[in-house]
Amino acid sequence: MATQIAHKVVTTEAPWVRYTLTGLALVLISFMLIIPLFSVFFEALHQGWGLYQAALVESDALAAIQLTLIVAAIALPLNLTFGVAAAWAIAKFEFKGKSLLITLIDLPFAVSPVVAGLIYVLLFGAQGWWGEWLAEHNIKVIFAVPGIVLATVFVTFPFVARELIPLMQAQGSDEEQAALVLGATGWQTFWYVTLPNIKWGLLYGVILANARAMGEFGAVSVVSGHIRGMTNTVPLHVEILYNEYNFVGAFACASILALLALLTLAIKSYIEWRTEQQAIADRRSATQA
Amino acid sequence: MSIEIRNIVKTFGDFKALNDLSLNVESGELIALLGPSGCGKTSLLRVIAGLETPDSGQILFHGEDTTDRHVRERQVGFVFQHYALFRHMTVFENVAFGLRVRPKSTRPSDAEIKRKVHELLNLVQLDWLADRYPAQLSGGQRQRIALARALAVEPKVLLLDEPFGALDTKVRKELRRWLRRLHDEINVTSVFVTHDQEEALEVADRVVVMNQGKIEQIGTPSQVYDTPASPFVYQFLGDVNLFHSRVHEGWAKVGSGQFAAEPGEHATVYVRPHEIDLSRVASLHAIEGTITHIRLLGATVRLEVEVADKEVVEVELTRERQLEGAWQVAETVYLVPRESKIITAA
Repeated sequence: MATQIAHKVVTTEAPWVRYTLTGLALVLISFMLIIPLFSVFFEALHQGWGLYQAALVESDALAAIQLTLIVAAIALPLNLTFGVAAAWAIAKFEFKGKSLLITLIDLPFAVSPVVAGLIYVLLFGAQGWWGEWLAEHNIKVIFAVPGIVLATVFVTFPFVARELIPLMQAQGSDEEQAALVLGATGWQTFWYVTLPNIKWGLLYGVILANARAMGEFGAVSVVSGHIRGMTNTVPLHVEILYNEYNFVGAFACASILALLALLTLAIKSYIEWRTEQQAIADRRSATQA
Repeated sequence: MSIEIRNIVKTFGDFKALNDLSLNVESGELIALLGPSGCGKTSLLRVIAGLETPDSGQILFHGEDTTDRHVRERQVGFVFQHYALFRHMTVFENVAFGLRVRPKSTRPSDAEIKRKVHELLNLVQLDWLADRYPAQLSGGQRQRIALARALAVEPKVLLLDEPFGALDTKVRKELRRWLRRLHDEINVTSVFVTHDQEEALEVADRVVVMNQGKIEQIGTPSQVYDTPASPFVYQFLGDVNLFHSRVHEGWAKVGSGQFAAEPGEHATVYVRPHEIDLSRVASLHAIEGTITHIRLLGATVRLEVEVADKEVVEVELTRERQLEGAWQVAETVYLVPRESKIITAA
């Protein structure tokens, strides 16, 4: 009995410390996360389901949702391709300037989204470097969909690559080399050997990139021009409605983003669980040697 | 199929991994590349496979220059140290991979692939594991599957990179005997890399001892062990005692003993621990010393004998000879080398 008590004392804190810390954490989570999330749905729905629905099927809101989906649908495949290519190059090959490339991939995380937006205005805007040429050829980038896509691709760029680089580095390139020796082409090697090994990490990166793409405000706000029904994404639309004191409308649209966030979290947890299962299997195959 | 390696040079940055190296491998031969880590043996294997491109030199398969041929067209089988099995595929799919990725015109039918894979799995005696995943196998099983996978494409040359390096001692011994029997059965020209001299001597037809990107000696296991061509080979293959001494009138003096030496200034004398006899009587070639330790190592007994200048000489006796001589710690003895190699330098 005596030894048991001594054991407890050295491995855990006193009860009051434990309860205070746990309590503090819970209070913080409630105030910072749960109550705000609840308030979004409360504000959106407290004047009734009818008004909520009406706010969502209103034409400007529908246009915003549509634009957000289009932007994500263009930005994600681009991201996927760039991300996999960059991760493949960095993880499987040795070349000069590799660390510079890794730093560049991280740049969008380091730079403020507003600056990211401004870069594109400076390049493609009417007074920008290529503005005149674009105007002559009647191509609209800024205050149009291409600008929004560009800004979104920029801010979401690191997600896929950053998720894949450590994974691919840990897996090494032995399996790819084995496939090549067995006569597989580069494409077959990627498709049958590399991709199955990274699929969960890839999906994880895509999910995170998608959440960011649909939720991005700062960079998109600079290049969009806030034209209702034309260049408004859901986050921009929320701001406009809120500034017009249309709280039900603002919160209804915000609730879509909140739902997207919850869905993302659920899928993310599932994928994390799957990757962990795979990591356990990989470890087993490494240690059982 | 024979392999001819001509003047291969391979550098990594400032490091010369292979330094103007040439080697011929006869058709059907099993060759071991033996050397310490960093000696270039794995680089040489990868150059033969086409996984590394040499800076200069040529690789000829059956007299035909393959230096610029892509790895996938070289028809080599490669077995990796850490198996490199495809972790998301079953054992069956792993072995079938090389057949499935062939272009449509040369790809065998599904039935043919199935027959071939089971034939190979039977050859490595693991047909019952066909539906398992690599993670569910032991290390020895994985390496045998990796071998079956490499053989599926009917390689003209089989290359093995430290194939037993990641296995424990007992499995390693079993597997290398098995590899030798398998080679006698299928007779494909094979090159394997190892840093384990015992493995090389036991398995290979010929051993290539490498050091610092160069070949030190090529020969049958008994040739390289019994008549080492250089001090490096002497030291790398088995334990060896070495003495530095000065040459005086054709004799190199080691403690109280003398060895005939070629003219020169300095001499190095190499004597293997098991090639030394112990005696209680002094003689011309005997080195006087005192026994400091006696250790039993299974069937042999290892004695440490301190000779002049506090130098310690290792002597290995069979257990019977130790009982016969009844050698004791602290006893004064005379060491009589049965074999020795003396290398003199100016």
